[in-house]
Amino acid sequence: MELTPSKRSFLSAVLFCLMPSWLLAKVQVVTTTEDLAALAREVGGNLVEVHSIAKGYQDPHFVDAKPSYLLKLKRADLFIQVGLELEVAWAPALLTNARNSKILPGNIGFLDASDGCEILQKVSGSVDRSMGDIHPLGNPHYWLDPSNGGRIAGNIAEKLSALDPKHTEDYKASLKHFESRLSKKEKEWDQAASKLQGIRAVTYHNSWPNFAQYFGIQVVNFIEPKPGVPPSTSHVQALTQQIKNGEIPILLVEPYFDIKLPRKIAQATGAKLLIFPPSVGAEPEIQTYFDLFDHNLRLLLNSLQEPPPQKP
Amino acid sequence: MSFKKYALWAALMLGFFSKTQAQTTAKSALQASNILNPNISVIGWFQGEAGHRQSGEEASSAFQFQEAEIALQSIVDPYARADFFVAVEPPEGKVDLEEGYLTWFNLPYGLALKAGKFKANFGKFNRVHRPETAFADRPLAHEAYFGEEGLASVGGSLSWHVPNPWLFVDLDAEVLTMPEADETPAFDTARKKDLLYLGRLSGYYDLTESANITLGGSYAHGSAGREFDQVNNSSSTLKSRLHGLDLTLRWKNPKRAIYKSVLWQTEVLWNQRELSSLSSITSAGLFFHLEYQFARRWRAGGRYDWTESPQDNSRHDQGGLLYLTFTPSEFSLISLQGKQVKRADGKKENLGFLKITFNIGPHGTHPF
Repeated sequence: MELTPSKRSFLSAVLFCLMPSWLLAKVQVVTTTEDLAALAREVGGNLVEVHSIAKGYQDPHFVDAKPSYLLKLKRADLFIQVGLELEVAWAPALLTNARNSKILPGNIGFLDASDGCEILQKVSGSVDRSMGDIHPLGNPHYWLDPSNGGRIAGNIAEKLSALDPKHTEDYKASLKHFESRLSKKEKEWDQAASKLQGIRAVTYHNSWPNFAQYFGIQVVNFIEPKPGVPPSTSHVQALTQQIKNGEIPILLVEPYFDIKLPRKIAQATGAKLLIFPPSVGAEPEIQTYFDLFDHNLRLLLNSLQEPPPQKP
Repeated sequence: MSFKKYALWAALMLGFFSKTQAQTTAKSALQASNILNPNISVIGWFQGEAGHRQSGEEASSAFQFQEAEIALQSIVDPYARADFFVAVEPPEGKVDLEEGYLTWFNLPYGLALKAGKFKANFGKFNRVHRPETAFADRPLAHEAYFGEEGLASVGGSLSWHVPNPWLFVDLDAEVLTMPEADETPAFDTARKKDLLYLGRLSGYYDLTESANITLGGSYAHGSAGREFDQVNNSSSTLKSRLHGLDLTLRWKNPKRAIYKSVLWQTEVLWNQRELSSLSSITSAGLFFHLEYQFARRWRAGGRYDWTESPQDNSRHDQGGLLYLTFTPSEFSLISLQGKQVKRADGKKENLGFLKITFNIGPHGTHPF
């Protein structure tokens, strides 16, 4: 029987789906964010195929648990999450519905990338939702410290070696190569950061403690009165006054927040407003983990070189 | 220091350390046991109602605590998870196990098996718990065919994710104990051990990064009571077949996911029911639901209802509901709703609702 091209492609697609994942040449990796995907690509190179669920321009706290993600998760050999409850609203639902026991917590195909990383703002004592969308285990935006980037890459390399032992040396070599590039980049960034030491900033969400600590920036307040809580009029008034009184030159806003209110605050205070991406993939030119820091440092340094806008 | 003082000092220190150690051990044991506790959450549903019902239902009080839904959810072992939902309903004065089921999610070939009491996978709306729907009431068609609580019963379910590279396809087969007619008017128990058979095929597809579609077809086959033949002194079981089609379209730009979204949902039901061995009836019902989230904490929506009764297709009820909902956070909402229904007898009902719900604890995510 002669098969038409459309029937042939249908048959091959069905066979592809029915094929067990170990027959596929590459280790299938699914990450919750593009930052983890970028690091997995650095370590895994051509030996892995990586997909991220959340895009870099998306707020990782609010991702719909779409069934289409299950198609990727079902075939995954490794699932990597940021952890610290960043993805608590959607990742557990996806994992339990993916029908892939290998990637469930506690199994070999599950990795919480925060293992061994420096985690800031761990909450001690009692926690409740009057504090807003708080993360009791610590601030989950820890990948924004390059030192943690190295640790995450190390975690991924270790996990890939366990999953794919015959390529352990390849993963080790890729990790070493990444670490050496990171080390060179860190020297470059440290030099740039010397101009940022002590600079005061207001950010929309509490996304930047690790970044701020590494680069010596002081985050003095947030547009959100509490994490995840939209700004009230009284908070905006107090914040505007604080920026004016404290001469805070920079307002950093993650790309997924509405820009109207930050723009008003910037106009009222003379602070420079920067759309400041916390993730790889937030802008087309941010393709790698290194690009993310290059981009953000460039934004900060350029803004300092520009003359401040006239105060109203 | 004398020997006695040394002995007293040593005894005190020993007592202090052993007490501290005991407290630490007890605390650690408590923490360890807490880790294994299930996730516990409660949703409260307070409602105000204005207007008069014409449909013969008992008038509601102006304010009612409609329901407190207590959820207990946990992984049981490496193979299964358990979900319990207990509804405390003060207006009816009852505590009801709304759902309580075990899911084996670790089966091969994309299969999952569920056993216990659960809401049947018929259409999209039926599985959503009452406090968590956008409405203060239920669509007329769901009330007419599934009753006030929706179609739920005890039994088992086998679900299969059909492997294909283009879209997510789920095939479900369920066997449930036949619910009573006063709970689920589309069916009626003929014999105690009667079973209800259900099947559902649904597909999900991302049209674009922002838009997606879910299309589903459902079928349920069960009894519609018994017919007695007094001449031959025998009885036979009458059949009822319920068909459903559902379409859900969603739009949400991931770059502005917290600010704007659109939801369109339609469900159509039709029922073929034997009234006797010689006659049968075909009836239908439907609803359309449109919701627009126009700001971070604000949603507006509307629903159109049209339905016949499973026992009578000569007349129909129709109506609509409009609502405006404010969500201070993900964990609470305040909704003002207005509803008009034109009943089959020509009488009109105008009702106004204030729905307030609030959630404490980590309530699990509902199916997308």
